[in-house]
Amino acid sequence: MSNFTRLVANENMKIYYRVRTWVMLSILVLFNVAMPAMLYFTNAPMDVWTVFTWTESFTIYLSAIFSVIIAADLVAGEFAGGTIKLLLIRPWSRGKILMSKFTSLVLFNLLCAGITAVVGIAISMLLFSGNTGFSSGFEGSSMNNSLLLLLTDTIQVFVISLIAFMLSTVFRSGGLAIGLSLLVLFTKDIFGFIFNPERFQWAQYLLFLHTDLSGYIQSPIGPGGVGIGFSVSVLAAYCLVFMLISWLVFTKRDVAA
Amino acid sequence: MKQEPLVRLLGVTKKISSKVLVDDVTLDILPGQIFGFLGPNGAGKTTTIRMMVGLMSITKGDITVGGYSIRNHYEQAAAQIGAIVENPEMYKFLSGYNNLKHFARMMQGITKERIDEVVELVGLGNRIHEKVQTYSLGMRQRLGVAQALLHRPKLLILDEPTNGLDPQGIRELRDYLRRLTQEEGTTVFVSSHLLSEMELMCDTVGIIRHGKLIDIRKLRTAEGERMFEETAFTVSDADAAEGLLQDFQTRAQEHRIIVRGDRNMIADINAVLVGAGIQVYAIQPVTRSLEDQFLEMTGGGSAVE
Repeated sequence: MSNFTRLVANENMKIYYRVRTWVMLSILVLFNVAMPAMLYFTNAPMDVWTVFTWTESFTIYLSAIFSVIIAADLVAGEFAGGTIKLLLIRPWSRGKILMSKFTSLVLFNLLCAGITAVVGIAISMLLFSGNTGFSSGFEGSSMNNSLLLLLTDTIQVFVISLIAFMLSTVFRSGGLAIGLSLLVLFTKDIFGFIFNPERFQWAQYLLFLHTDLSGYIQSPIGPGGVGIGFSVSVLAAYCLVFMLISWLVFTKRDVAA
Repeated sequence: MKQEPLVRLLGVTKKISSKVLVDDVTLDILPGQIFGFLGPNGAGKTTTIRMMVGLMSITKGDITVGGYSIRNHYEQAAAQIGAIVENPEMYKFLSGYNNLKHFARMMQGITKERIDEVVELVGLGNRIHEKVQTYSLGMRQRLGVAQALLHRPKLLILDEPTNGLDPQGIRELRDYLRRLTQEEGTTVFVSSHLLSEMELMCDTVGIIRHGKLIDIRKLRTAEGERMFEETAFTVSDADAAEGLLQDFQTRAQEHRIIVRGDRNMIADINAVLVGAGIQVYAIQPVTRSLEDQFLEMTGGGSAVE
């Protein structure tokens, strides 16, 4: 059998040969430049890592939205365009084709995180290194903290875009996948508030409470008194279930007109 | 000469909830043939094709291609198939060339030279580097044929291939399919609801109605002569005569045996009958056209029932 990487190359081609993708990536770069620049003009006494943390906290939403758009299109787009018929009649099992799509999604997540890290940090350093504490940033925990924040936020973006990917596979509709998965991103705090794990024991197993792991950077105790190991396990379990659902639907369901 | 069939459909059935779309279709297709799958709209043609290429699951029965089962050895079976299912929908935001590259990557051992060769073959020329969204329907059809031929499939499946083609395009496609079967030994499976097209294009047609395969008939002899004209033999003992004529395509009608075949065959049949002591009272051509026969069998026209 030929190489699985060629399938991933195909999926990447379908993502990066579209103008849309480059518009999204340009916007991401733009805001990673613009946020530190705007903070620079406020003349606030901030160090490099505080600036980057602020920048990242904003641009991560862009990463989430763009990743969700890409994820929602991966499967639903093939159905909408009718190309699914030509894609699935190749000598590849459907599971492998789905896996290649998933892989290209993870790569896109990483690309967004990479752009944020490289551009955001570079511009922050450029504008703020002469400022208060360039050196103190490296000594203290602030660099660690802001990199950890990028990591936990990237995990969150991954989970949200996996939800979009699953919905895209199940409903074969990109719009629905984008809408519902972004709804999860923006309303998870409300759900966490209503189903407070301090009141309801079972609520600690809800996905909403664990998508954002950044709380653990400051404190080892998470929602409802659980630890980071618990949160990561719950997240991993949900991700596995989402992937399983996608896989079952994608491999079993007929492709009709 | 007994040839091993390339494609076998064995009691293929497709049910969706309680509706039977394809009902127990059994069919062998010999290599190097152009097989036409003929039936009115909604008869189950596309459903059968979707099962052949693995887009739909098979409720009961199995399909083998080159000995590999679609159910159990999908990847090996699919490697031998090239297909266009309904319209050739390609990635509009990619160039024609990148579309081909995309599908080439999904198959074994397709070189850059092969892609160029196929582009040459379908006559897309320089426009292959333009985005597919700028293509006309005819050009998309050509690109569709190109992607189906990339890996020199043993079996080429085309679902309603002449839809949206102009007469010249249809002519080209026909000539091209004929060349393909003769030069590369490719087997072609085409579906259509247009009988006139099938007559010109196919060696054999299978007729499907309400999901059931109701007839398979040869349209051409080995010499390429058309053989759908029918001749009626009025004989003394129709049952005995039918027994004798097992090698031919016949049906009995009261005292008559209706035979499909060319002139030589009529002489042969007459000799067989006379030789066996059956009295032949009359030999008459049956003037019904293939179209009449088709309409009769499919219950009149292409209306969805």
